Amino acid sequence: MKDKSKLIGFTCAYTPLALIDAAGFAPYRILPMGDSPDQAGHILHENLCPHVKRVLDRGMQDDIPELSGIVFMNSCDTMRRLNDAWQKVRPNDNTLLVDLPVSNDPGSVSFFAEELALLTDTLSQWSGNNITPERIENSIGRYNELAMHLNELKKRVDNGTLKDGSLRLQTIYNKAATEPIKDVMEMIKQMIDETNELSDGGLPVYLFGNVLPDPEAFVLFESCGARIVSEDLCTGSRMTHSIETDKSSDVFKRLANGLLSRTACARTVDPINPGKMALDVVERANACNARGVIGHTVKFCDPYLARMPSVRDALKKEGISFLLLEGDCTMRSIGQHKTRIEAFIEMLR
Amino acid sequence: MILQHFEDQESGIMNAIKKNPESASPRKKLALETARLGKRLYSNADDLVWAGPLVPFDLLNAMEVTPCFAEFIASILVSTDAGPLFFENAEQAGYASDTCGYHRMLMGSALKGMIPTPKLLISAMSPCTGGLAAMENLARVFKKDLFILHIPQKESDHGVRILANHIRNMAESVSSHTGKVLDKDRLRKAMENTNKTRDILSNIYKLAQQVPSPVNGRDLSNFGIVLPLFFGTEVGIEIAQSFYDELKSRIKANRSGVPGERIRLMWLQNRIQFKNNLVKMLEKEFNASIVIDELNVITWDPIDPEDPYIGLARRSISSPLNGTVERRVKQIVKLAEAYKIDGAINPCHWGCRQGTGARGLIDSSMKEIGVPVLNLEVDCVDPRNFAEGQLITRIEAFMEMIESRPSPW
Amino acid sequence: MIVAGVDIGSLSGETVILSDDKILSYSIVRTGADSALTAKKATDEALKNADISFEDIDYTIATGYGRVIVPFANENITEISCHAKGANYLFPTVRTILDMGGQDCKAIRCNEKGKVTNFAMNDKCAAGTGRFCEVMADVLGIALEDIGKTSLEAKKDAMISSACAVFAKSEAVSLLRSGVPKSEILSGVHEAIASRVFALLQRVGIEGDFVISGGIAKNIGVIKKVAEKVGLKPLISEEPQIVGALGAALFAKERYKKG
Repeated sequence: MKDKSKLIGFTCAYTPLALIDAAGFAPYRILPMGDSPDQAGHILHENLCPHVKRVLDRGMQDDIPELSGIVFMNSCDTMRRLNDAWQKVRPNDNTLLVDLPVSNDPGSVSFFAEELALLTDTLSQWSGNNITPERIENSIGRYNELAMHLNELKKRVDNGTLKDGSLRLQTIYNKAATEPIKDVMEMIKQMIDETNELSDGGLPVYLFGNVLPDPEAFVLFESCGARIVSEDLCTGSRMTHSIETDKSSDVFKRLANGLLSRTACARTVDPINPGKMALDVVERANACNARGVIGHTVKFCDPYLARMPSVRDALKKEGISFLLLEGDCTMRSIGQHKTRIEAFIEMLR
Repeated sequence: MILQHFEDQESGIMNAIKKNPESASPRKKLALETARLGKRLYSNADDLVWAGPLVPFDLLNAMEVTPCFAEFIASILVSTDAGPLFFENAEQAGYASDTCGYHRMLMGSALKGMIPTPKLLISAMSPCTGGLAAMENLARVFKKDLFILHIPQKESDHGVRILANHIRNMAESVSSHTGKVLDKDRLRKAMENTNKTRDILSNIYKLAQQVPSPVNGRDLSNFGIVLPLFFGTEVGIEIAQSFYDELKSRIKANRSGVPGERIRLMWLQNRIQFKNNLVKMLEKEFNASIVIDELNVITWDPIDPEDPYIGLARRSISSPLNGTVERRVKQIVKLAEAYKIDGAINPCHWGCRQGTGARGLIDSSMKEIGVPVLNLEVDCVDPRNFAEGQLITRIEAFMEMIESRPSPW
Repeated sequence: MIVAGVDIGSLSGETVILSDDKILSYSIVRTGADSALTAKKATDEALKNADISFEDIDYTIATGYGRVIVPFANENITEISCHAKGANYLFPTVRTILDMGGQDCKAIRCNEKGKVTNFAMNDKCAAGTGRFCEVMADVLGIALEDIGKTSLEAKKDAMISSACAVFAKSEAVSLLRSGVPKSEILSGVHEAIASRVFALLQRVGIEGDFVISGGIAKNIGVIKKVAEKVGLKPLISEEPQIVGALGAALFAKERYKKG
């Protein structure tokens, strides 16, 4: 049994989990799952991202374990409002909003590094532990190892040599976000060692978007004849990235740089190359030899909605078929798309 | 086409004033200067920079670079005949109707070549992610560079220092994209102008607080958000002064903005930008006046003309459009008290996550001080689904409710 | 070889029976609460029309909203692929199809073989669907099959600003109360529908020839408005409601041959 009071909640894949670990806490992602009744719309507004609304619903319904604090990232307008609303509905929780720049230029990295130092002070207060540089380095090492293992597992799933691969990978991602990583690492190692079992048929598809944590969604894709050969989701591979371990430079700067330079969510912008996200999608779809691309985003997500026209154009130029799905984090909404997904696969066959 | 619109507007106002000098009003003065700004934007004569609403425009004005922000141009384009067409363009190009109308209008008109090409685009994560995304898209469409100003959420000395430096870098970037240098004397002069405008504004707002208020529901609409485009210029001072003089003379003549003012209202977020009868209806049927718009507020200290960057940074950070709701709500409550309002109307602009997303939190804080809030569902820019009849019914019911309860003050 | 295609939609169910390349018979029935039963009813009727028995059918493919619950089907294929296939059989030159069904509306692009190359679907909103027309016919007290004809009598369109079924209904009621002729209200409703489906068509791009299928294709008022917007004369088969089932039957033929 894990000690529940040792948990720190988080809601965004830009959260520096290694710092939470270094404070002696285990990070717990409040995933937009479960069946808490819809209430958040009254506090926020109905036209807000269902990811955030469902996370707030869980908070309002007390459908979360006991937490020592929650770290919110200022990743987008709606996340910022989640932080605001949380204080209202759970005034006794420890919370911190960490400012997150939108690009990885040197000025932004320095600013973010300072924010991470502040976060460390706060975590230290919450835990009563002195967070030494050594502890942070150790945690970075642990999370780098987790990232490495998850990547290895992802490769097997992408190659289609693991039975029920994408379903099980998503289950592992969810565990990695909510359970102590030592246990998760063991499970991953076992899975990596399983014997090869080639998956049957399925049209290779590249999937990108934001929040899609329900493993059942991947079962649905497969039942429609798609095989996800690579995925870029904030509840999936975007959670893992490795941080530089060269101790000669400042640890917070390394963390800041690692987070701001990892595979970007649409909210992060490369000012040198406006519209880069569209090119990234094309590049990744080509890299995994996908026959088609499926975009899945939650409704009302401004960062993604604004970039979809350019993604569509870029894929069209490359002659890659594209299907865009919008959901609300429930299987019901994903299930409604069954006909679309099937027709998309029929079209590509 | 759009240039023609501004030219017609300018000559129309000038002719009207010539014919009847009595008809000159501060609102006309503002419209005239807005038309002139529009002319400069669309005549290709000036160096343009597209910027987000929290970018220090006075700095750009000091460089003789014409600034403009997306929401401003969108609100003008929607009043042209082609308005609805631009929305359709945007939607056909894939810009979802779930997104903010200002940004959809901007993209739709840009794709039709109806937005003048800037030398550079400057954006910030505040006030909104959608705005930043729109600027990124514009940079892509125009094939122009994008400069991102990171405005910290928190008002800390450290954050202010970082932003001040960043504003300096921004000025350098503007310089290298336009060839215009930032002259020290002109910068000092611009900051002095900004401070003068600021003083007049703060006096205007003090006058507006009087009971009954000298302002009617239209005088100061869009004021606090549009005027910064003229910060740092003599024109900015003139506009502000004309409003001050007008209000002062109304007070002297014992004339309130809305005759027989009975109900005082606050308008939250932003105004409905296309023609509608709501404000007139409030005046006529209920003697109700919108005495304060949420953004008609000064949250910053005068800027040190010798070292302006710190002051400019502080100003951007302190905007109610930046940061947590807590700060915005505090500001709204303060205004509610200062203006002794009987109720507030929140249009809940469709597609605005940062603003509309605070709906419930504003509600509950206003409840604590006994001020009722009416939440509408309006797209403040896109008139295509505007259901005026339904809105009037809701506003009437709200007014009846206010009339039937004691004033909170 | 005798094959069947069964299309179970939200408002109606259709079965088409093919003998080699020839349509032997078809049926259209109203959908009941039980999709499996609707499928059986439609198929029984088609069998009766063809004067053959169930055992004579070599292969069956189900399509439409209720395709997974057709117990006697060998396979199921989405209605998007089937509409393209069916339209291509009827009009080999077709490149763009607008299917206006009972509950959703689809714009489909296909190649010369009737294979889908792109599609867009509108399934969250009733505009452009049979349900929407039913609601309007009901509000105005006109028989569903007459609304097209009636709308053509209008001298001008009443302004229906919203293509949302809920709002349009209340707008229609208030127009009716203020004495606007029913024909003009209907014409306005059809204009609103046409704008919506035109936007859907633009998402996939429109190229001739252009076919309209589904129940609404029988509404001459909507067809006229859509044709005006698209700028192409739509091709409409004698029985536009069976295009999906026909496509399913054609797939059944192909799959059966393949073994």
